[in-house]
Amino acid sequence: MKQKMNQIKKNGIGQFLVTLLPFAALVVLFGLFVGVVSMKGYRLDMYLQIVFNEGVVLAVVATGAIFIYTLGTFDISLGAATLFAATMGVLAYNATENMGLMILAIFASGIICSLLNSVLASVFHIPAFVTTVAMMSVLTAVASQIITTKGGALGGISIPSVVVKDMDEPAFKIVLLAVFFLACFFIFNLTKAGRRQKFIGGNPVCAELTGIQFNKYTILAFTIAGIGVGLGAFLTLIYTPSVTTTTASSVGMNIFIAIVFGGMPISGGARSKIYASLVGGFSFMLLNDILDLVIDSSAAYGITQLISAVFFLAVVYVTSMNYRTQMLPR
Amino acid sequence: MSIPKRFLGTIAIPLISFIILEALCLRHGSHIITNMRSFDNFVVYVAIVMITTIALSINLNSGRFDFSLGSMAALSAVIGAKITYAVLGGGEGSAFMMLAVTVVAGAILGLISGCVYVVLRIPPIITSLGVTLIYEGIMYTITEGKYLRVEVQNASMSGFVSTWKYAFAIIVLVLVAAIVIFDHSRFGYDYKALKDGQKVAVNTGINEVKNALGCYAICGGLMGIVGFLNAARNTTINGGQLNFGSIAIMFTAFLPMFIGSYISRFTNERIGFLLAAVTMSLLNSTFAVFSNEVTASMQSIINAVLLVVFLIYLNNEKLLVRIFSKK
Repeated sequence: MKQKMNQIKKNGIGQFLVTLLPFAALVVLFGLFVGVVSMKGYRLDMYLQIVFNEGVVLAVVATGAIFIYTLGTFDISLGAATLFAATMGVLAYNATENMGLMILAIFASGIICSLLNSVLASVFHIPAFVTTVAMMSVLTAVASQIITTKGGALGGISIPSVVVKDMDEPAFKIVLLAVFFLACFFIFNLTKAGRRQKFIGGNPVCAELTGIQFNKYTILAFTIAGIGVGLGAFLTLIYTPSVTTTTASSVGMNIFIAIVFGGMPISGGARSKIYASLVGGFSFMLLNDILDLVIDSSAAYGITQLISAVFFLAVVYVTSMNYRTQMLPR
Repeated sequence: MSIPKRFLGTIAIPLISFIILEALCLRHGSHIITNMRSFDNFVVYVAIVMITTIALSINLNSGRFDFSLGSMAALSAVIGAKITYAVLGGGEGSAFMMLAVTVVAGAILGLISGCVYVVLRIPPIITSLGVTLIYEGIMYTITEGKYLRVEVQNASMSGFVSTWKYAFAIIVLVLVAAIVIFDHSRFGYDYKALKDGQKVAVNTGINEVKNALGCYAICGGLMGIVGFLNAARNTTINGGQLNFGSIAIMFTAFLPMFIGSYISRFTNERIGFLLAAVTMSLLNSTFAVFSNEVTASMQSIINAVLLVVFLIYLNNEKLLVRIFSKK
């Protein structure tokens, strides 16, 4: 009995250490980043701003996406939805010159795109990964068509930079991020909806048998993700007031990496963590920027991605050590 | 099910698609296939779609979502092109040598991907993300992010896709091999057992690791063929695909995979994939006829809408039948 208790205690400590790992990795990466920038003699404030501006968009969109991933499904159209929402925002501003309408257009586009996914998944019973693949194609194609048609030779559409210049401040972005994160934290950890979503992700059959309405929580998850997309698109426009066909192109897939880097299993369920998006998003951006700074060759981007990927797999391997199964996971 | 019913069920989708698309083309004053050149393109595209669909379905049917298929195709083609050019300098026999090298390289890349999965024992969707990034990174490093042109632009390569015969031979070979391996071999029986009941299959003594590695190697080899055909068809390989730029190849196979699965109710699943690829190729050829009116963006939208509509039908078939039978 005592031996068993000791074993449980030991496992508990191991589990606790694994939980701390993503935070430790973030601290280490931040230290490394500061060290590398200082060694190279570059301006630290400028580089920190670059990392922050890249990381904040990923963190915001990924925070909303956590609700979808918690249900045990995923959405790879979020990057395309961000591009589409930003495109709609630019169109709305250029048509009306009204900032309020621009913001409304951005959030409405983000939420509608996301809701469409959830309706297809929950009402028409199409697997979510397929609907999001289709949605990714449609949104990218529509946005590209608009951008290339209206962008002309410059290949992009934009709003006057003076419109968003005042908002391009770290303090403003931190407030936006904090408000959104705290709202999500509250819903995720302190409400019935959050608990039920984790239950659905952990065991959908049991959840259904206890009377939990899957559709209701799917729609809620996609709506929150849509708000995240809108906020991400808005932050993208604040940082770069022009939209091209490649804007936010990597966000959709980077969310996967950010969430895993943050210590959350892709399978969702009870082990889902809302902070994974924040910790993972910034860790991933820091790692990429460190490698970009260190590797200086014509193939630098390739080597950077290669090392990031190996690091990514190593992190996943370590963080999932306690959840190994006898059979191959699916 | 009676033989005529099975036959009709098997050919219904490609036949109806052909009739509708041909009618559209006739209204435009043309045909889906206008000359021998467009027929060659048609067959080559059938080969690309069918092989990608088979490769995608092998792991997806077993619950293993594999994002790395596109990166395997691209990287194996880069390796094949580089080695072949180093040996033959773009001379006679380049295409056949590149095909052989690319298939072997693809199989090795697939095997490595499988090894990462079985060694790390983390969900395949995550390992495939990592593997995709690694392969894209290697490809970018080899090519310095540039397009490979010199290595694939030669008479041998262009000759390979300027006739339907080679692509047709590849289709037949892949189809026969896939049917033999997955329907008439011990490997295939084990694969089906693991697919339908992993726990029971493992408990009965089936070596899951060996089977999974085999599946990954086969997928890699098939994607090698796709990489080669794409290189020959486009006369270039984009070496600068980073940040999951290579996964688009995989998405092209979603619609044919679901169409093929539907057709497989009436015939062998692999035959279903072939007929689905024929349907997709008919659509692609129709897009070529309407190239002035239908842009690339429009084509993406049409494909995505078709995918969604088809899936709405598939996933609500019983409900729809009930509604219409009441009326």
